[in-house]
Amino acid sequence: MPDEELGAVLADIGARLALPRAPLAPSVVARLRERRRSARRWTLRMLAPALATLVLLLAIVAVASPEVRAAAREILRIGGIEIFPVPTVSPRPSASATPLSISGQRMTLEDARRAVGFAVRVPDVPVLGSPDDVIVDTTPVQRVTLVYREREGIPTSPVAGVAALVVEVRGDVEPTFFGKGVGPDTKIEPVTVAGSPGYWLEGAPHFFFVRTADGSIRDETLRLAGNTLVWVDDGVTYRLEAQVSRDEALRIASSFR
Amino acid sequence: MGAESDSVEGRPTEDALLVQRSRDGDRDAYAELVTRYEGVAARTAYVITGNEEDAEDVAQEAFVKAFYALDRFRPDAPFRPWLLRIVANEAINRRKARRRRATVDLSVVEDRASPDTALSPEAAALAGERRDRVLAALRSLRDDDRLVIAYRYFFELSEAEMADALAVARGTVKSRLSRAIARLRDVMGESGEMDV
Repeated sequence: MPDEELGAVLADIGARLALPRAPLAPSVVARLRERRRSARRWTLRMLAPALATLVLLLAIVAVASPEVRAAAREILRIGGIEIFPVPTVSPRPSASATPLSISGQRMTLEDARRAVGFAVRVPDVPVLGSPDDVIVDTTPVQRVTLVYREREGIPTSPVAGVAALVVEVRGDVEPTFFGKGVGPDTKIEPVTVAGSPGYWLEGAPHFFFVRTADGSIRDETLRLAGNTLVWVDDGVTYRLEAQVSRDEALRIASSFR
Repeated sequence: MGAESDSVEGRPTEDALLVQRSRDGDRDAYAELVTRYEGVAARTAYVITGNEEDAEDVAQEAFVKAFYALDRFRPDAPFRPWLLRIVANEAINRRKARRRRATVDLSVVEDRASPDTALSPEAAALAGERRDRVLAALRSLRDDDRLVIAYRYFFELSEAEMADALAVARGTVKSRLSRAIARLRDVMGESGEMDV
């Protein structure tokens, strides 16, 4: 092969390297935050979240399957949510039969804003409009859930009978935290929402679980089993669940005010 | 070594500004640097590890390490080769930790719908064959040979940048590259050095 041809083939190969598959900046920034936090003070108290995580993983191992041990190698942490890969996620049998039930108190948006210690923000897009229900829970963590029932242009979840859910959680509450189980068929993509780090989860169903202040673990019922955008802004973890595309989810997320 | 001002790939002035701001703890500035160089970083890692997941993880880790090493970085020096040195180092360590095999699983994207309409199906097939041949030879090369070829032909680094990234004297770059190409040709069953 002549020199210039070899050079051209090599350049062609170089042009066909398709990496990275998703922007790296959000995960790099997340790692920097993580590192700074862990470098601060390595006391037993600092280890508490890690120990809690371990407890949680053991709990998943107990309820799921033996292969979990191998899969629990990577944990993505963002704000108050930790995302755990698990080999399989089977919908709870009850989830398909019962309508969505969210613990907490139904109230107006104004009352919700007074009830929790953080700024409750809502999406401002025509496709969603105003939420049908605002549900506030203060235990185990301060959490506001916005429920959007049927919406034109967004498929209604057969599981829950709603089109979209927005969940807002004070993100820095420890040792209580949220976890999210992610099966092998779920795509996880780091994203940036208005300059804040986040993840886009698409595909197979995922579930949430909560470790309560007294140390017990309960799983939150499988929600919409749909696509989820999670991001953290100013100490609050936001989660948008709706059967929409990534771009649409990002558009909705950037309209929060 | 080799941080001559004539290696002006990228946007060095802006880089220096972003580096300065990153040093002061500005994460947004650093995120901008990451965005600017994540392609070359992840691909460099991939050339060594031959595994996409490892490559992305290595690149992220290298960016984190680079952030903490910024204090030791001369702000007027070019950022890209300095970063690549950290990336390559990290990638080689990863490959060692993975009990590296002789060859890596280096692969590239094939033609999609019609990226090159100028090529007839026959010509495209021929180009694909040539690509596969060279790719197969690359896979069996030593890590450092693959790296030097990638720097020159994949990422088009200048000689000064290559010297900087490889931490060698500028005069050594040419001979390294021509030896790597000779070994590539050798694996392909051809002989002769390339005039680089």
